[in-house]
Amino acid sequence: MLIWRPNVVNYIVAFFIILTLNFFLPRLMPGDPLQAIYGDDALIAMTPELKLELIQRFALDKPLGEQFVAYLRALFRGDLGYSYYYHAPVVSVVLGYLPWTLLLSGLALVLSTLTGFILGVEAGFRRGQGLDKLLLTTLMLVNGFPDFFVGILFLLLFSVVWGLFPLGGSLTPYASLKGFDLVLDILHHLVLPLLTLVVVRCVNIFLLTRSSMVTTLGAGFILTARAKGCKDIRVRYHHAGRHSLLPVVTAAGLHLTHLITGTLFVEVVFSYPGLGTLLYNALMVRDYPVIQGVLLILTAAVLIINLMLDLLYLKLDPRINYAR
Amino acid sequence: MLVIKELQVSFGELIVLKGINLELKKGEILAVVGESGAGKTTLGLSIMGLSPGRCAGQILFKGKDILALSEEERRLIRGKEIAMVFQNVEDALHPLYPVVDQVMEALLIHGLKDKKAAQRKAMDLLKALGLSEERTHFFPHQLSGGEKQRVLLAMALANDPEVLILDEPTASLDAITRAEIIELLKKVIREKMVLLITHDLSVAAKLAHRVAVLYGGRVVESGATQCIFTFPRHPYTRGLLRSYPNMTTVKDLQGIPGPPYKPVDGCPFHPRCTQRVELCFREVPELKSLGDRYLACHRGGIIPLLEIKALSKSFNGVRAVREVELTLYEGETLALVGESGSGKTTLALTIMGLLPPDKGEIWLEGQKVLLRDKGFYQRVQMIFQNPKSSLSHRMNVWELVKEPLDVQGWGSEEEKLERVRKVLEEVELPADDFFLRKYPHELSGGEAQRVAIARALVLNPKLLIADEATSALDASIQAKILKLLLSLQEKRGLAMLFITHDIALARKVSDRLAVMKNGSIVEEGPASEVITNPKHPYTRTLLSLAADLKEEISILPVDAQRPK
Repeated sequence: MLIWRPNVVNYIVAFFIILTLNFFLPRLMPGDPLQAIYGDDALIAMTPELKLELIQRFALDKPLGEQFVAYLRALFRGDLGYSYYYHAPVVSVVLGYLPWTLLLSGLALVLSTLTGFILGVEAGFRRGQGLDKLLLTTLMLVNGFPDFFVGILFLLLFSVVWGLFPLGGSLTPYASLKGFDLVLDILHHLVLPLLTLVVVRCVNIFLLTRSSMVTTLGAGFILTARAKGCKDIRVRYHHAGRHSLLPVVTAAGLHLTHLITGTLFVEVVFSYPGLGTLLYNALMVRDYPVIQGVLLILTAAVLIINLMLDLLYLKLDPRINYAR
Repeated sequence: MLVIKELQVSFGELIVLKGINLELKKGEILAVVGESGAGKTTLGLSIMGLSPGRCAGQILFKGKDILALSEEERRLIRGKEIAMVFQNVEDALHPLYPVVDQVMEALLIHGLKDKKAAQRKAMDLLKALGLSEERTHFFPHQLSGGEKQRVLLAMALANDPEVLILDEPTASLDAITRAEIIELLKKVIREKMVLLITHDLSVAAKLAHRVAVLYGGRVVESGATQCIFTFPRHPYTRGLLRSYPNMTTVKDLQGIPGPPYKPVDGCPFHPRCTQRVELCFREVPELKSLGDRYLACHRGGIIPLLEIKALSKSFNGVRAVREVELTLYEGETLALVGESGSGKTTLALTIMGLLPPDKGEIWLEGQKVLLRDKGFYQRVQMIFQNPKSSLSHRMNVWELVKEPLDVQGWGSEEEKLERVRKVLEEVELPADDFFLRKYPHELSGGEAQRVAIARALVLNPKLLIADEATSALDASIQAKILKLLLSLQEKRGLAMLFITHDIALARKVSDRLAVMKNGSIVEEGPASEVITNPKHPYTRTLLSLAADLKEEISILPVDAQRPK
């Protein structure tokens, strides 16, 4: 456990820096920080009493150090500010949308990595053969499209033209479904946005796995495995695949940010009630506290998932511990 | 029994192995040696059914043709009945699994169901091969090269296979680990059929009963290990031995001329062979039995260039040369060692035809020499001890080196000039007009001897007799001239009869050594053998008196005192 401690420290430092930036940016902008925090529109409707309350709340009449402490305290209480658009604390607004994004992006992360990996292993193993060429060409083509474009394409084809899936949302409104029916309904709504993300996001994983497979298959231990009498499938996954997984896990962390931005776009396309839609709406109405809150949550999520991948990597590659 | 019949492996147009016929018997170790790229590993992989190339021919194991089996049937044999240990390059073991799991896998694949039992067995095996208990759970990167080799061996032995293929089992190991692994191998591979693939001749010598020399995808020579390594008959085998640094042979290292193998018609070795004839360009020699070995060479192996049969010569009743029998092979140096007056020079002069023999015959390239015509001197040349007296002081360098060409009536003046310049360059002399106009008295001792060598070599002879050719020179210049002669030998296959009284010198330049005393050859054999294990007391005397850098003075043994 001692071994990965510096790693965790890195993440804590990174998170702290982000918090600091989040604190300073509005205050560094010219003019009234309240204006920077809430925007012009919100201030027009503001009464002097409310303004005074807000100044106290952010400790704007105190020195910068105390303001920072106040900011951190509020943060640890779970106070991300107040949205005047939703008339609710930012935390509760964000928490209302967060589960849908977690569901969508989490499943997309797992499924796209899995799909990309399996396709990559199979294509790499059959390098230069029909299946490999087919996969490579198709996925390279898909790779050229942005997420939202594929999303729109799917939406048009599957929902508008063929009517197989709902046009948007995460649930059938007012259906008050329960139990298994509810799960089915959720999945039914989830299919298209998830499919869009998986299709687009698996390409990088696929390409990486494939090239990693091609290198790995030339390694001596593959020959050793075959000489032992291993079946093809065992050579492919237990030996070559397992080894090819290493760069994939590294890259999964790097691609995570793309996945998250991708999720935001796709949510907007499918009117999926996640953080993306929230962010989009907040941008439209310049609801700065919500924007800031969403971004903070997202950065925290990216950091946490990266940390988890780092820890996973330690499990995957015994040589890392040794090298330290 | 494993029988390989007419095996051919090709990658597209490129044929990597051709016409391979080998047999492995139970309890026998066959070493396959050769340069990298000769097809050794491909041979091992084809037996495993893992060669990516296209295989034709037959590999019969227990009466079944492995090449004709389905992939699934082959898989069941792999690792179970035929196992292979790969070269211990760093990645022969999977980096992400503990080694005991990797050994265990070999057991589980081939039918063992109980995981616990498999692990126990794998552990026992690793321990038996010298890995300590706690290290069995280590990952490959935590083990040393020798330990990894043990793991690889354990993996191959896990299912107690009948055939074991070892691919460079000791490459990249240090000397001590290598010795341990060889020891271990000796112990564990009894009662198996073993194919040992190696370029390390020492490992082959220590482990193998028989050896097959592979060149350009063909077996060029095969036979009992000691027989092949002591008396190589194929020029390639000799080249391999000459370029292999070891403590047995004493001659300076020599390479094999020309670049590594490229596909050619005819004998695969002919572009690098110094005794090739026209036939070698056209036809591939068959591997034929010679009694003690199999050999693929149109010329029947390294040809005897000069044979001296029962040669005698006396002066006024003093028998200077008595019944001498000597054979000198193509491209080799035979050192003739003995004290002054032992008859060495007389023998040389008789060979050259400068003295008529009383009795006996001299054969050159398989034909009896009846008269010394131009053809003879074109093939046999001599250099003498003192260049200042062997070069005419009336002629300049150009005339001296050109003279043999004039005598032979060879080419026009321009061609001669070109040839002379080339040969001067070969002996590392300047070839400019200024140097060509120099007279012997203007040359240093070393330069003069080089001119003498150039004169001898200008006709491109097959045999050079060097009579104390360097004894008048400084050691440093002598060393250079000897290097030059050896490199010419390597390049052209020049055979040398090297006459010297200095056995320390003979040791560095000769393949074989003959000791002459009072006109007779008293001992003859491979230089290493004569030096390390002298049979005749006279040889022992010469050896004990040879130059060394020790403090104590060697004392002449009593039995070697000269009769007064």
